[in-house]
Amino acid sequence: MYLYKQIRFVKLYFYAGGFPPFMQNTTSRYIIPFFLTFTVGTFLYFEINYRYWSYFMEQYGLFLYKPAYFIRFLKQPGGLSGYMAEFLTQFFCLPYMASLIFSLLIGGSSWLFYLFVKRCGGKIFLPLILLPAGMFWIFPLESIASVVAIFISLVLVNGYTWIRQPVGRYIAGTIGITFAYYLFAPSYLFITLLLSIYEFSIHSKRKYLTGFCWLVYSLLLPLISLRFFYILPVREVFFSRHLFHPEFSIPTSFYWIWFSFSSIAIVLRLMGNIRVSFLKEKYLYPFSWIVLVGFICLALMYGKNPLEQAYRYDYYARSEQWDKIVEHALQNGVKDLSSQRYVNLALSYEGRLNDCLFSFQQSGLEGLIPSDPKTRLELIQASEVAWHLNHTNSSQRFAFVGVLSAERCIQPRLMKRLIETYLVNEEYRLAEKYIKILESSLFYKEWAQSQRSVLDPEIADSVAWIRQKRGWNPVHDNIYDLTKAFPVSLAYLLDDHPENKPAFDYAMVYVLLYKDFQTFMYYMEQLKEAGNSFPVLYQEALCLYFAAIHRDPETFRSYPIDTKVYERFRTFLTSVNRLSPEAIYEQYGDTYYYYAQFVTTPKELF
Amino acid sequence: MMHSSAFQFTIYAFLVFFTLWTGTLSCSVKYGEKPSAICEKRLFVPDIYPDYTDISIPPNIAPLNFVVKEAAEKVYLKITGSHEGEMESFGKDRISFKEKKWKQLVSANQGGSLTFSLFTKQEGCWIAWQDFSVQVENSPIDPYLVYRLIEPGYEKWHIVGIYQRSLENFEETPVIRNDMTGYGCINCHSFCNGDPEQFLFHMRAANDGTYIIREGEIEKLRTKTDRTISNLVYPYWHPSGKYITASVNDTHQFFHAVKDKKMEVFDMESDVVIYDVENQTILSRASLLTKDAFETFPSFSPDGQWLYFCTTPATTMPEKYEQIRYHLCRMAFDENKGILHMPIDTLVHADSVSTSFPRISPDGHFLMYTETAYGQFPIWHKDAEICMIDLKTGSQMDMSAVNSQDTESYHSWSSNSRWVVISSRRDNGLYTLPYIAYIDEQGKPSKPFLLPQKYPDFYDYLLYSYNIPELARGKIQTNPYQIQHVSTKGQAEQIKFK
Repeated sequence: MYLYKQIRFVKLYFYAGGFPPFMQNTTSRYIIPFFLTFTVGTFLYFEINYRYWSYFMEQYGLFLYKPAYFIRFLKQPGGLSGYMAEFLTQFFCLPYMASLIFSLLIGGSSWLFYLFVKRCGGKIFLPLILLPAGMFWIFPLESIASVVAIFISLVLVNGYTWIRQPVGRYIAGTIGITFAYYLFAPSYLFITLLLSIYEFSIHSKRKYLTGFCWLVYSLLLPLISLRFFYILPVREVFFSRHLFHPEFSIPTSFYWIWFSFSSIAIVLRLMGNIRVSFLKEKYLYPFSWIVLVGFICLALMYGKNPLEQAYRYDYYARSEQWDKIVEHALQNGVKDLSSQRYVNLALSYEGRLNDCLFSFQQSGLEGLIPSDPKTRLELIQASEVAWHLNHTNSSQRFAFVGVLSAERCIQPRLMKRLIETYLVNEEYRLAEKYIKILESSLFYKEWAQSQRSVLDPEIADSVAWIRQKRGWNPVHDNIYDLTKAFPVSLAYLLDDHPENKPAFDYAMVYVLLYKDFQTFMYYMEQLKEAGNSFPVLYQEALCLYFAAIHRDPETFRSYPIDTKVYERFRTFLTSVNRLSPEAIYEQYGDTYYYYAQFVTTPKELF
Repeated sequence: MMHSSAFQFTIYAFLVFFTLWTGTLSCSVKYGEKPSAICEKRLFVPDIYPDYTDISIPPNIAPLNFVVKEAAEKVYLKITGSHEGEMESFGKDRISFKEKKWKQLVSANQGGSLTFSLFTKQEGCWIAWQDFSVQVENSPIDPYLVYRLIEPGYEKWHIVGIYQRSLENFEETPVIRNDMTGYGCINCHSFCNGDPEQFLFHMRAANDGTYIIREGEIEKLRTKTDRTISNLVYPYWHPSGKYITASVNDTHQFFHAVKDKKMEVFDMESDVVIYDVENQTILSRASLLTKDAFETFPSFSPDGQWLYFCTTPATTMPEKYEQIRYHLCRMAFDENKGILHMPIDTLVHADSVSTSFPRISPDGHFLMYTETAYGQFPIWHKDAEICMIDLKTGSQMDMSAVNSQDTESYHSWSSNSRWVVISSRRDNGLYTLPYIAYIDEQGKPSKPFLLPQKYPDFYDYLLYSYNIPELARGKIQTNPYQIQHVSTKGQAEQIKFK
């Protein structure tokens, strides 16, 4: 009832052409909507460009509801921001949550920065105030820890500005810097700069002394900690290990973002002293709105994540939506090798590899499986392909290495795959170890618990997918690496289980892409003897083989070649010399004989 | 006003968030309830992790905290010493002892035993379990265990470090970690007679070299010479500290396709050399550089007069990886002249098994080694087991008490020859963990127990293997930053082949 009355009250004001009482000052009329718009813009920007990147990022953390896990974080500088970041990142697996969290933190940081600038008596020039937080739009985030640390620092800094007693303020500042170092490093440096700026802004009596003391203290604090508390690399003692992967160098964007807050605070404070007409509010606010709306529109129109397609397919693969990969690729084309691997894998899952192979540009082995998987995405893909080909050991191996590529050696999606491979290989105790870890998380708990029952060998044996995978597990050992000796490794798989269709399809695609007709014909003989059907791709290759390499009409007739396929091939032969390259591609670009004739054979990698 | 309320709102929002998030942590609750009446008595020992039932412990071991795996709302434990004293402990599903009380009770019962009486409460009803006992031996174990923590992975390492853990409490500190030295690999640490001030290790890839630490001085050496096939690999100190024997190996690996086997590590070539620490030279007259045989895993006898090693006739690898078997041999070593003397004695003939890691007890009585069906890298072989020979009688000892269905591989003796630490994968088949076992004067081993941890479910969440657990007689005082400094700033000295 109360709410209803309030709404009516507000409506009356708008009908009267004025603002309701709570919107009659500049802050509520211009500034709050301004920051809300920025927050909404941030949400849209991240949702459009980084939705799948966020799903991907979520896999590289695993928040555990265990006290020991919390304590482990606290043992390192900046641990609490890392812990909070991991807590928030776990929700990225839910739709819209990553964008919502990003936008709230980034929007909140910009709002807190505005409050700080206002407390300093700086000029309220909104585009400049937005700039530091807006940089998160420009520089993709490796971890959300950076945004969390900035947000909390700004909370602390704003709290500081509300202390009127100078001595109380200095004590609080010193405690705050210390607290920020141990829990939110490297925000202590950030806080030191902002606190000093504040002291200068309000013309505090001891501004030089406090600024100098805090600066020295901030620089000494890590060194003292290094001496007495931590055994860590110097970089981690100053900058924490939670903001970036410790094995990589600190990105330049870090310096840009973190130092932009203090630089802009100084600029705005200096601008606060300038009294010129064009900096009046009546000009500034409309200008700010134009800048903001323009910025959001430009970012939404032109901001692109170059690997968005690969991350999108990775998400579909993770959720086994193979049809969506094919559908998206058919509509949008394939933009990079990573996407191509997923498209080929999806085609195989959908049973369309032989029909649609040349609907997409092919790149040889690299388009099927990464030849020497090193990156995070490559390791996931190698594990996915190996799993599909029923090479359980290789899938396990790449999943294991993929888990190690995560900063804390924990990667729930690949840990799930590890559990599956352990179940297939009857390594129940190992499966249980990983199940227990996943059970301590929020979003993987249910899946992990559902796997517990399978830890009983008798039950495991009755589960269809486990039985099927076990049935296709390699019988004869060999020393060949699936990624480095792909064809030989596949040959071993097929020797053990000729009915392993995914492996057979991949093997045939491989030999056809490399135009190895000798091997292809060896397998065609087997296929014929087994009385299996011949997909169009094989029929086209057979037409070409018997027309151009081995003219043996009698043997050719022994293969079940469809009349339409044969007629199309004959038409191709008769028209190939008189049609333009564009026309040939238009008419025959999806055929194997076009590929064999006009596309350069990929370079053999081994 | 707006400013103030907006800020207050931000603060409150932050506090609410902080409270909610910290609330997700489970708080420790006290479960200090003794059983008032026993509803049921079970005639078998409870399932606890780690398994500390019927083991022998040294008097200086850290508290044996454990998790009760039986369904329970509360647990109560009473320990009664055979000589004197008793102790109580409570928990929800785990028992954690106070260090001071534990130490008092254990030291008061040296040479005796502790009886553990466990009670669990389930649906308001207390259950008494069969008591189990723990034998407290008189001989202490060396107070520190030094090991490498590494993911038991295939071709990639992440954070690798050598750590030292006090066995008398739960303190673990890094000796050196690769995140301080450029993320290279760190491996094969080895002590001279368990002396924490005399040891070495290798670094590969970034800041590579062999680092020898003696009384606080750190040497960084480049150990590949034009006469040897690689850097020094598996090292062992001569008891005098004057020499280090090491293998030089051309090591490769491949991955199996079938279940039950993961990977194979093999040598295409390997030799054994002896390095003169003072003169920084490899002694040609004390080195086994043969093309027709692979030699590896050398070690000295405690009196320094014998060099033990594993050897096999050279063959084509990896084609014959399943057929290669290493004999366990020894040769006399003249410490004064730095010469090896023929003949070669074969202690274990590799007819159907292959040997590795020969280690002689400091009293010279027993030779412990690892046995597997083939090859020289038992870590990936499920069948690998610990074996032991009585060097006085030449007889094989029964080591079934320390072995399991899974891999047992590395082992290290305590300086008093009464304790060994054994690497084993018995916990889950992949992650290697350190187990401590008592060996009595006749060479009879007791049931091994897992290295105790403060949080008894620590190993459930651990994603590292304990690699090369070596017992040390004290704490390494060399600061990791000193090693880091030498590693990143120091120039490696090239050793010579003489």
